[in-house]
Amino acid sequence: MDAHIQKVYVPMTETSFYILLCLRHPSHGYGIVQRVKEMTDGEIVLSPGTMYGSLSKMEKDGLICFICEEEKRKIYQITDLGTEVLHLELRRIKRLYQNAQEAMQ
Amino acid sequence: MKETKTELRFFNIMEYEKEQDYLRERHRQGWKLKATYPPGIYRFVRCQPEDVIYQLDYNPDGIKHKDEYVQLFQDCGWEYLFEFAGYSYFRKPAEEAQGDESIFCDDESRLEMVRRVFYGRMLPVLLIFICLILPQFADAVGQDEIASPFFILILILLALFLLVFCQFAWQYRRFSQGIHK
Repeated sequence: MDAHIQKVYVPMTETSFYILLCLRHPSHGYGIVQRVKEMTDGEIVLSPGTMYGSLSKMEKDGLICFICEEEKRKIYQITDLGTEVLHLELRRIKRLYQNAQEAMQ
Repeated sequence: MKETKTELRFFNIMEYEKEQDYLRERHRQGWKLKATYPPGIYRFVRCQPEDVIYQLDYNPDGIKHKDEYVQLFQDCGWEYLFEFAGYSYFRKPAEEAQGDESIFCDDESRLEMVRRVFYGRMLPVLLIFICLILPQFADAVGQDEIASPFFILILILLALFLLVFCQFAWQYRRFSQGIHK
């Protein structure tokens, strides 16, 4: 993996994380917004400006790819590179969580 | 009673937050934005006074793929108005919004927008300034023509640019501090 990609995406923003997580199944931007709202009991509502910017940037960086367009909504899916980045980030979060657990005991 | 009114207001490229507040205030007074024309003409139509959040996004990629871009905002409950000077205008009634909702939900994406304005707008102006105007400026100084109208005009433009640049630096700092807090 490109050192630049790793530097930019590990750690990544909450928005980027949820985008990668949701795009393991094909979806469009608004689909991701709805899915994240459900997952977090309405606590996290991703905004369209942030969503549009993140999707364009991640597509350009090759983390997600465009599949097709349905009723003016672009459908994306995660790429192999995106999956790799997601796992790196997950590993970082797991370590963070484990260290916190140990420290708090 | 007049049904439309026109106002002249100047907001520079970095003053989008001030512009948003101005439009929200007018809507609260019962004037909703209808159109904007250069250099800074705002046309309003009389309406029911209401608290409506106005938001501006600078995104050339969005303008290029306008259908999908606008669709995403509409899905999220934002009404698209029009595009003016590279900015896309959106609005949403405050009662439908979640608190002080914005079209950006984190400081990273606010900073990204400031960067897009810088590369799309300020950098080209700076380059034009350096390549075209500065050499003539140097000539004028060399020939002792510093009181000429041209010279004064350049000084005014330079001062304006510096002002916008300071506003850019301030916004940049504000959002990057938000990220690294």
